[in-house]
Amino acid sequence: MGFQMTWENAQTVFDKLAETYQIYAPKRHVNAGRYSEVDTIQYDRVSRMDEIVWQVKSDYPAKEVLTPIQQAIFYFTEDEYRASKVSEKPILIFARPCDIAAQKVQEKIYLTNGGYEDIYYKRMLDRVKFALMECNGGDDTCFCVSMNTNKTDNYALAFKFSEDGILVKVADESFGTYFDGVAGSDYEPEFVEKNQLEVTIPDLSDPKVRQALKNHPMWDEYNARCISCGSCTVACSTCTCFTTRDIIYGDNPEVGERRRVTASCQIAGFDQMAQQKEFRSTAAARMRYKMMHKFHDYKARFEDSHMCVGCGRCTHRCPEFISISATLNKMNQAVLEIKESLNQGGDK
Amino acid sequence: MMTNHVQPKPCKILNVKKESTHEWTFRVESDAKPEHGQFMQLSIPKIGEAPISVSNQGDNWLEFTIRSVGKVTDVIFQKEAGDILFLRGPYGKGWPLSAFEGKNLVVITGGTGLAPVRSMLNFLYDQEDFARDIHLICGFKNEDGIVFRPELDRWKNKFHTTYALDTDAKEGWRTGFVTEFVKEIPFDAFGDNYAVVVVGPPPMMKFTGLELVKCGVPEDKIWMSFERKMSCAVGKCGHCRIDETYVCLDGPVFNYTKAKTLVD
Amino acid sequence: MNHDINVKKMRINCFRQSKVPGEFMLQMRVPGGMVAAKYLENVKYIADTWGDGNFHFGTRQTFDIPGIKYADIPAVNKYLEDYIKEVDEELCAVDMDIVAGEKQEWNRESGYPTIGARNITGCIGNHHCICANINTYELARKIEPIIFPSHYHIKINISGCPNDCNKAHLADFGIIGVSKIDYHPERCIGCGACARACEHGATRVLSLNEATGKIEKDPCCCVGCGECVRACPTSAWTRREKPLYRVILGGRTGRQTPRTGKMFLNWASEEVILAVLGNWQKFSAWVMDYKPEYLHGGHLIDRAGYKKFKEIILDGVELNPECLVAEDIFWHETEYRSNFNVKPMELHHTAGPVK
Repeated sequence: MGFQMTWENAQTVFDKLAETYQIYAPKRHVNAGRYSEVDTIQYDRVSRMDEIVWQVKSDYPAKEVLTPIQQAIFYFTEDEYRASKVSEKPILIFARPCDIAAQKVQEKIYLTNGGYEDIYYKRMLDRVKFALMECNGGDDTCFCVSMNTNKTDNYALAFKFSEDGILVKVADESFGTYFDGVAGSDYEPEFVEKNQLEVTIPDLSDPKVRQALKNHPMWDEYNARCISCGSCTVACSTCTCFTTRDIIYGDNPEVGERRRVTASCQIAGFDQMAQQKEFRSTAAARMRYKMMHKFHDYKARFEDSHMCVGCGRCTHRCPEFISISATLNKMNQAVLEIKESLNQGGDK
Repeated sequence: MMTNHVQPKPCKILNVKKESTHEWTFRVESDAKPEHGQFMQLSIPKIGEAPISVSNQGDNWLEFTIRSVGKVTDVIFQKEAGDILFLRGPYGKGWPLSAFEGKNLVVITGGTGLAPVRSMLNFLYDQEDFARDIHLICGFKNEDGIVFRPELDRWKNKFHTTYALDTDAKEGWRTGFVTEFVKEIPFDAFGDNYAVVVVGPPPMMKFTGLELVKCGVPEDKIWMSFERKMSCAVGKCGHCRIDETYVCLDGPVFNYTKAKTLVD
Repeated sequence: MNHDINVKKMRINCFRQSKVPGEFMLQMRVPGGMVAAKYLENVKYIADTWGDGNFHFGTRQTFDIPGIKYADIPAVNKYLEDYIKEVDEELCAVDMDIVAGEKQEWNRESGYPTIGARNITGCIGNHHCICANINTYELARKIEPIIFPSHYHIKINISGCPNDCNKAHLADFGIIGVSKIDYHPERCIGCGACARACEHGATRVLSLNEATGKIEKDPCCCVGCGECVRACPTSAWTRREKPLYRVILGGRTGRQTPRTGKMFLNWASEEVILAVLGNWQKFSAWVMDYKPEYLHGGHLIDRAGYKKFKEIILDGVELNPECLVAEDIFWHETEYRSNFNVKPMELHHTAGPVK
């Protein structure tokens, strides 16, 4: 089932959808950028179709809808406590194919790892349906095709936005009623088939190669370049790490909450236990840890995919212009060297 | 109804025993039945959570030996019998008792590294037939660092014990690091029938592991318990991950063949 | 060499007397220090045709062309017509026929009519700079028609942020772009990067509350630089949509009493800045009894006293709610000569109408 809408009648459809769904989409936050007179595009509740930013990729990922940067998990009052609650209203998230692929990557950790299903993730996910935004090709930091995340069929609706109007495919027939009286079309979403950027994932199946890569001097560069700010992991579509933190409300020690706050393996202290030395105390070690997770460790555990959807947001948000694709290339180069040296019987 | 795996349960503190200035053992009412070597998440609502290994267990109670080193443990130290602690767990993989059954067992600990093996040692003490000879080497930094004194004395009755302080002298005790006493263990007499447990601070475990291998101990006979930063204990928060391994899920007890490959 | 030249008239025309008799240096205005690069061709043409082939970056960001012969000045001025028209009249909307508020017809081929209000300088601002809070040259272009043409002296320096690369602290009227910054605790991950940035690069107003994992701020001493915004990995700090300005008053260099300026206005809106500058000529005229002298703005404030200055300069200005005004200002001058201000009565300066 397909439809075509002008921007005017799109708003009517939007209003009808909004009666049932909380609608989240990339939205412009004026002047919220790192530098003055620079906007950010962040996921947020939207109330109008024309608030949805479809022209460019969002700066921050769609994951913020399911796992906000800060989320209360328990409330405490004196000696009583209860788990936090959420609205039961279903959620519709406007997202590109890479964003939708990222949700599956996160799901593995939240719902299956260790056999523990996280209720805080599950109760959000159960409410979510995706409205696919046909990707207009992203930008020069994207490499979804290399990561095999350029296509998806995990959507209820698909939208193709343009200045002239909007084409829609209704994949989940329960959405058909929202489009009563809208002109039909035979729209089928198209997917990006080629990015400007192509990456190769190094073959790290040999533990000897991995061990050597961990000790390779290629990481040293990041001690001088990376400032361990964590912008990359915050912007990452798939990073899930959080810290549990208890707080007291104001000056009343009897009332407070336990919350999850986004954490970053790139920020000092991530692996630090009280009164002990950090295990990864350098930017190089942290970068190595992140890259190995993205392009080896996650897949080694969960098998289906790497922990990167090639959205390029880490590169895009890095204030020091560290490119993940360039870093991958350096890993490839290092792995080549390592393999050569191992073949020559070297024992590095 | 979905299970909330991070929901803690209020549990009453039954008593508090001061092992040393900074290490106290809290006995808490709980019907949990952890494996030896597993850990639980202890918390004080509005302050925070901390992963603590179960240091002993009995009928409807658990013990946790806690070192006051941070925000949460400092507040726990203000609690007394009758107060409430919040618990969830047990979590992780404990000691592989079946791998120790009928074998000679060497247990080497450094400092409070004794806590995660204490409940197993008490079990072995009570179940004399479970394993063969138990060789226990416990090292402490100094007199103040000694924990579980009554048990250290008791264990002497049934185990081959070597107790040592790092640099200080103490009557009936040795002086030196635990690594120095490893070579005194009669591995040859064990034949193939033994296992080794090592717990302590990361450098102690590293050097003890190397020393054991030097003594000809096969790597797969050595077991270690890791301690890492944890925030959820159920494989979500990511803090304890090393490579594809989550210490909270796959550990804290690892065979040395695995442990030696883990690079933080 | 025999010349009969009114060098003061030449100076007003923005031609500066050379040590070489009969030669002058042209100073072309570049408001905010920013114009299209194409004008460099005009600079080159003037330098090659009438000057000595050299060009100097004027210390007040004018295009300075030395070695122009007195006899060539009319030709140079004629050539300047398009530049003045495009830069001052069109880009900055300057009415060249009004001098200090009075109608005074401008001969288009006669070059610059006044030198009093100096070229407004600016750092590159947020056209380029990652630290800047404001677009410096756009502000300069809005100020230019208010202060120019005029025989009353004022030096205005605009800096895009409190780092003050363009030395607002050394101008009569220094303007620094600042931002009021909003904190969004729900986006804060408690990494403390902002607090470290503030400690290293600003006024140490931020601290990480270890108990809450959130930031606490001492708003009193925040200089509005925006370093916290730059450091934040999650956009938990954001600049408010409209930038604000700090005015540093009465700074100067000079042989007698150099000094750094002091804060006059903080968190002033653009409207306030423009309205205050709209009173500048009124203030200058009052101090000098309506007869412009070659006297720099800071000295006029000294003569009138800060409180009188404040009274005239804020006359009719509607301050934005955030705007703070210095109740008093105590400058500290470099004491080249001790007891510099102790001198015979007849050498004392006076301000206001002569009785």
